[in-house]
Amino acid sequence: MFHREAGVFKTSYAADMALYPLPIARWAVAACAGLFIAVAPLTFGEYYLSLLNLCLVAIVGALGLNILLGYTGQISIGQGAFMSVGAYTAANLIVRLGLPFWITIPAGGLMAALIGILVGIPSLRIKGIYLAIATLAAQLIIEWTINHVHWISGGIQASIEIPRPSLFGHVLASEAEIYVFLMCFAVLAIVATLNLVRSRVGRAFIAVRDQDIAAEIIGINIFGYKLYAFAISSFYAGVAGALESYYLGIANYEQFQLDVSIDYLAMVIIGGLGSVLGSIFGAVFVTLLPIATRWALEASGGLFLTQANLADLVPHLRLVIFGGLIIFFLIVEPDGLARLWRNIRNYFRLWPFSY
Amino acid sequence: MPEFEWQFTLVLLTNGVMIGLMYGLIALGFVLIYKATDAINFAQGEFVMFAAFIAASAANAAGLSFWASAGLAILGMVVLGFGLERVVLRPMIGRPVIAVVMATIGLAAVLRGGAVLAFGAGVQAIEMPIPDEPINLGLVLLSPVQLTGAAVSIVFLAVFTWFFLKSRVGIAMRAVADGQQVAMAVGIDVRRYFALAWAMAGIVSALGGVVWGAMLGVDNQLALVGLKVFPVVILGGLDSVLGAVVGGLVVGVVENVAAGYLDPVVGGGTKDFAPYVLMILALMIRPEGLFGRRRIERV
Amino acid sequence: MHIPTTALAFMVGAAAWVGLAVTAPAQDKKIVIGVTCDRTGATQIVGTVLCPAQHDYFDYANANHLLDGYTIDHQEIETGYKVPPAVEAYQHQKQEGAIIMPIYGTPQTHALNERLEQDKIVATTPGFGIAASADGQKYPYLFPIAASYFSQGAAAVKFVKDQLGGSLKGKKIAYLYFDNPAGTEPIPVLKDLADLERFELRTFAVPPPGVELNAQVLDITQRYKADFVISHLFGKSPSVSIKEFKANGYPLTKVVGLVWASGEADILAAGGWGVAQGYNTMQFAGAGDDYPIRQDIKEMYKKNGKEPPAGMEATVYYNRGLFNAAIEVKALSNALELTHGQMPTGTDVKNGMEQIHDFTLGGLVPPLQITSEDHEGGGWVRIFRVKGNGFTPVTDWFNAYRDVVWQQVKAAEKTQ
Repeated sequence: MFHREAGVFKTSYAADMALYPLPIARWAVAACAGLFIAVAPLTFGEYYLSLLNLCLVAIVGALGLNILLGYTGQISIGQGAFMSVGAYTAANLIVRLGLPFWITIPAGGLMAALIGILVGIPSLRIKGIYLAIATLAAQLIIEWTINHVHWISGGIQASIEIPRPSLFGHVLASEAEIYVFLMCFAVLAIVATLNLVRSRVGRAFIAVRDQDIAAEIIGINIFGYKLYAFAISSFYAGVAGALESYYLGIANYEQFQLDVSIDYLAMVIIGGLGSVLGSIFGAVFVTLLPIATRWALEASGGLFLTQANLADLVPHLRLVIFGGLIIFFLIVEPDGLARLWRNIRNYFRLWPFSY
Repeated sequence: MPEFEWQFTLVLLTNGVMIGLMYGLIALGFVLIYKATDAINFAQGEFVMFAAFIAASAANAAGLSFWASAGLAILGMVVLGFGLERVVLRPMIGRPVIAVVMATIGLAAVLRGGAVLAFGAGVQAIEMPIPDEPINLGLVLLSPVQLTGAAVSIVFLAVFTWFFLKSRVGIAMRAVADGQQVAMAVGIDVRRYFALAWAMAGIVSALGGVVWGAMLGVDNQLALVGLKVFPVVILGGLDSVLGAVVGGLVVGVVENVAAGYLDPVVGGGTKDFAPYVLMILALMIRPEGLFGRRRIERV
Repeated sequence: MHIPTTALAFMVGAAAWVGLAVTAPAQDKKIVIGVTCDRTGATQIVGTVLCPAQHDYFDYANANHLLDGYTIDHQEIETGYKVPPAVEAYQHQKQEGAIIMPIYGTPQTHALNERLEQDKIVATTPGFGIAASADGQKYPYLFPIAASYFSQGAAAVKFVKDQLGGSLKGKKIAYLYFDNPAGTEPIPVLKDLADLERFELRTFAVPPPGVELNAQVLDITQRYKADFVISHLFGKSPSVSIKEFKANGYPLTKVVGLVWASGEADILAAGGWGVAQGYNTMQFAGAGDDYPIRQDIKEMYKKNGKEPPAGMEATVYYNRGLFNAAIEVKALSNALELTHGQMPTGTDVKNGMEQIHDFTLGGLVPPLQITSEDHEGGGWVRIFRVKGNGFTPVTDWFNAYRDVVWQQVKAAEKTQ
């Protein structure tokens, strides 16, 4: 009844190739955009906005990893390292040269993209698990380099304090303002990814993932596209890292260690490989999981456990739930949350006349 | 570069060899699983940690003797190995490698959180019935714990090499690793051998856990030694038992010598990233490692 | 498909359940203290003892009405020593109305610094944090309240000087440290003192997580042959270092650990008191059981019909938790005096903090003098040595080289 596909006639090529050809889709997206972009910063409380801010940063990073892993099939455990490259580049540019954010953030992304290309070079010779281990090595080596090369890491402290971003002289200080700031970048990332995967480049990526040898035979330069995928994915990661540093006010290498890379892998897999909506779901899910665990335990556990015991339990329980959910999704629904969403949507396609 | 001193280098080498053999012990578990079931186990460090926790808790909380706790740890890990294979790995048969990798990563998180929930958060010590004082050989000092670890590693290298070459069960496992379909056609029960491989890896992890736990103390940070497993197996070959031990030796020696000579130059930390640089070189030049089998992809 | 729908239903149900979690209705006459802790991350060996101690003291303060007419609401959020959860915890606790926070962790302090100043919430960072925050003029809302890493480094040098017969000229000191910002912080002070006292200083970094420091200890003991070792390690590495020094035959009486390498847990993890005899530890709060406040807390537990927690045995870190909480409660009570019983704001608490002096809590707390210029209170430490089955004090409370330390504080401010 709602999801009407019949009766929608397109009269131009542009209409046919649009991102959201159906009116229902357009209304839904417009409503979401209206809610999150316009209504939220004005009405949500500061705490909830701060949660959303964390999710927005994760969304950008997860989209990047999805391009590399979901669409091009290259396993990468180095997401955290690329984020740290972007973060430190942006931080150094701000602190040393005083550049505004619309230069430092793309610069951070570009630097991360360069490093990403370097890390992607082994993909010429190795695939699959070996490539994954190579990216793991890259993660650890980049961590070490940033920590030890004081020129990059800002001295012995290896953390650089970053002032708030400012637009035309107005400093973006409140949570709501930062929220709008991050939202712009997130929207850019989402739209860019949606278009990327429908383009020629996106199709080449999918070809590399599915049948790389056949792709090479028909003339797609798989090495070139693999490097391109690494570059784009690292660009996203660099931007995400820079954004996170702006939000937290500090670039600190301890924020970008191996467990962050694993978190992003989990986001993409739980959300659903090869799906933009999946990355968004996965990013929100994994980011809010520790907080939700804490709420749930506080709400129910307060009945029979003291405060101290709870505090002890929560983080370990969070790890167990986190790992358990990964395994659960892998066994039960390998296509992730996106597939669950699609199932719901498919149900509503014929509703209420689904017989 | 600091001057080359004979005694210092000798000490570095000795330490490197012993630590390297202990790395090899952990890598053996990884290789066993890969060799038999083609699964990359990112949770190897957590296995070692979990086993160490079992042994430490048995000794400290339940007051069992060292041998009883070690035995309990072995038993516990065998049961864990069987259980994990059944619950987590069986459904993953035939799935792409990224899925199995992520499953073991998820497993690692569950074990890390679960170990503390089950055994408590503080650091525990494992007391081995061997002297504390280092053995003085004149030029070098040998730590008894490390010596034990190295000895266990060599013993198991011998045992597993014999096992895979000569015993029926070992040959059957190799057959399963080579080609599951063919093995099934010949009448080998593939699932039983998968379970057995995980159980054996559990045993090796238990031994590794006891020795590493005695050396470093048992808490959930012990799992981080598992990260060292990757350079070791890449250098040695993912599916080679000998490679695990030799790779461990190489990594141990390179680490120590690099740390001894390069640390003053670069300001520390070479120990952590030297093996990874070595690993990347190995991946570029000879991905299958020193003793691994060349993977040939058939189109 | 059958399974995903039920899984979906489960998830929707769980989400609804979480969403229905009701926060406690706000009660008046309640002061909120926002506690964060690391019970699962790299420094869990400290957090699992220190944080319960803080809660114990707050309960004690409530039971004995130390804050006239107000009860302390102390909620804890675990951060695992990571920055994003710490920032989220800060936002949450700010929303709950916290006016003072015992922060946990040096990178977290860096991240929250500006926010604390903006939102006017007081934070205490005893024994860690930003060394430059000793300067109360530059960092009005950050209070180290205990020896910063600068001060610890300086005090260690003084102790070494006394141990080596009063002069350091020509001697070799090794500085073994955890390779992260907290570990590297004392180095400028040590270098200054090396020039001043004319000793040779060499630094040995231990990469995180610090479980293998074989080569470094080897170098220190066999090749460099240090006359004394200043050890700034935390987490697992102190216990590993004790074992390594023992294994290399280096006398532990020539090793002094800074404040976070100095707990019972570290000794036990190294293999027990027998292994660590002679190891020198630096403390900024009294170690051992011999303090009236500890007996009072044990009484409190008994009165509630419960056994005192096992964590109290870990006196070093436990007492530090008491120290932190006690200073905060004193600051709050000073603030209440200033506001004549009205609900204090963050600024009142800051003023209350800056009035703290001569508050020694039976010897557990050193003779601090916190003023609006000096938020550190003087950088007092005491050295305890492992003897028998416990710690015995080797020195009384002392501080050292204050002028060198303050020079570095001013220098560090310029780079922040």
